[in-house]
Amino acid sequence: MDYSEAAERISRKFAKGGQTPDVKKIEAKLRRLVDEFNVQPSEAERSVMNELSKEYNLPAPGAGGSAGTGGNGGTSEKKIAECVPGEWVTVEGKIVALSSPPSPAIAQSGIIADESGALRFVVWAKANAPKMAEGSWYRIESAVADEYRGITNLKIHSGTSIKEITDDRSLIPAPTPIKDLHPGIGGVRAKFVSEWEANHERMLQSGLLGDETGTIKFVIWKEPGREKLVPGTVYTVFYAQVDEFNGRLSLNLNGATILQEEGDIPVSGGETAVTGSLVHIAPGSGIIKRCPVEGCNRALSRQNYCPVHEIQKEFVYDLRIKGWLDDGEKTHSVLLQRDVVEALTGIPLAQAQEIAENNPLGMDEVFLRMRDAVLGRYITCRGREIENRLLVNACEKAAFQSGDHTALLNRAGGAPS
Amino acid sequence: MNTNARDMPRREGQFEREPARRVFAAELRECRYQFKDGEDEKSPTFVLLPSGERSNRIFIVGTLTEKTRQGEQNMFYRGRVVDPTGTFFVMAGSYQPEAMQQLAKIEPPQFVAVIGKPNLYQKPDGSWLVSVRVEAITVVDKETRDLWVLDAAKLTLDRVDAFAKEQTPDILKAKEQYPTIDPSLFRKIAYDALAQIRM
Repeated sequence: MDYSEAAERISRKFAKGGQTPDVKKIEAKLRRLVDEFNVQPSEAERSVMNELSKEYNLPAPGAGGSAGTGGNGGTSEKKIAECVPGEWVTVEGKIVALSSPPSPAIAQSGIIADESGALRFVVWAKANAPKMAEGSWYRIESAVADEYRGITNLKIHSGTSIKEITDDRSLIPAPTPIKDLHPGIGGVRAKFVSEWEANHERMLQSGLLGDETGTIKFVIWKEPGREKLVPGTVYTVFYAQVDEFNGRLSLNLNGATILQEEGDIPVSGGETAVTGSLVHIAPGSGIIKRCPVEGCNRALSRQNYCPVHEIQKEFVYDLRIKGWLDDGEKTHSVLLQRDVVEALTGIPLAQAQEIAENNPLGMDEVFLRMRDAVLGRYITCRGREIENRLLVNACEKAAFQSGDHTALLNRAGGAPS
Repeated sequence: MNTNARDMPRREGQFEREPARRVFAAELRECRYQFKDGEDEKSPTFVLLPSGERSNRIFIVGTLTEKTRQGEQNMFYRGRVVDPTGTFFVMAGSYQPEAMQQLAKIEPPQFVAVIGKPNLYQKPDGSWLVSVRVEAITVVDKETRDLWVLDAAKLTLDRVDAFAKEQTPDILKAKEQYPTIDPSLFRKIAYDALAQIRM
């Protein structure tokens, strides 16, 4: 291995970032790793680069996997949507949002956008960079694209140069269909479909936004100047943060630009349909008692015990079926709500209650009757899938279609394909 | 409406329930190979269908033609469930008390839907028996039976088609384990089963 050449190469990379590492020191470190510790040359190079990055408070260049092999060491001019973690980049963009820095180590944070997309950015306090103003365009040279919580962001460090762009440029972002959103920064044109209870004291509002292609949860955290959205209204939202948690996306609207729109748009129910056979009816199906406390509605145990509100004598009856719907390839967990259960089993709530209160088997009798009415039957369930469970809001029994029969006869009787 | 996420039970890992395969009696009867997926005591056991798919659980609909009670201390019920292609041997013992009670209540002949786990046994005389340990059994109507024949025929044809075209590990294993069985036989079986449905 030619240590001096490798050391030169490394130092050049950092020189582009505005740093002046000691070439001799780099060479000595490489030599030590390779000769003394039998480290692979490429690995040695990577570890020296990481060490230097740490020294200069930069993200490890190896994170993108390109540094070890030389790769694209220099900084390249990129559209914002093209930035991938682990690269040194130069971008031109507009500061579309500024947010209060979460830590004293950060001087400024916000969102920068061009016509291709938007990224969250962070300016380190150590970078001594000029303050950028919301609404202005800047050319940012030699920043680092990095990853934070699985989302690409832009780090502005002491080696980055920032120049304001004075010529007038317009930027008209286009909203993304909800089903095409991915973690990062995104915009949608959507209707506020339903409002959910804020389940955290710092939360201002949460709910569901929907467009033709799907629905997504949104959150607004309490912050001075933040206002609640109005249910039923259509909004165009730009530069919202799209987060991913447990494989599900949500929109954080703090820092987003929100425009109220006139009129209405169609919204997808976010519905899926599954046809199959009900192969299991789980315990807890049939008639159940629910906690009457406002906003609780939890299922009570047999002793009328609510996990939160303890013994509740004035419970409310409800019907549900929890089970597995199986299409022969995959089994779907389904939860049928009261009206669906009534329609499918032919047992209305009043009759179920009568059985539960007067039959010697009580609530078990309702379970058994309902099980016998639906187990093993072919049904089609429609509803929303939440946390791997289909919440069924419509359900129908499959009927024998002679067309299907004929088609299968033809398929079976035809020549082997 | 109360749909707070915190009201929902926590997801338990990435549990995936084994799907219930649709298989005709004539195919299930040919099974000779059973294996465990994994070393764990609780790893699921699979019967390999000759058409090249593993099966931990099956769903069948047919006619319960007879049931018998057996055993004294370890009582269990045996039953025969007939589909258009042959007979399934089902059983429910004291380890499946609910299934046993359900089976005990049904007076044959009746159309029944059975969800159960196939198991392979070799009898003392060397012949093989595939028996289905019942998880749940219930009386259904003829329409459900007919729907099942369509369903089983469709999924059997899907397997036969995949067998000819694809190279999944289960298909390769089936070719190795059942060298004398030509799965296109099951296409004919599916056709005959469909043809028995009277319009």
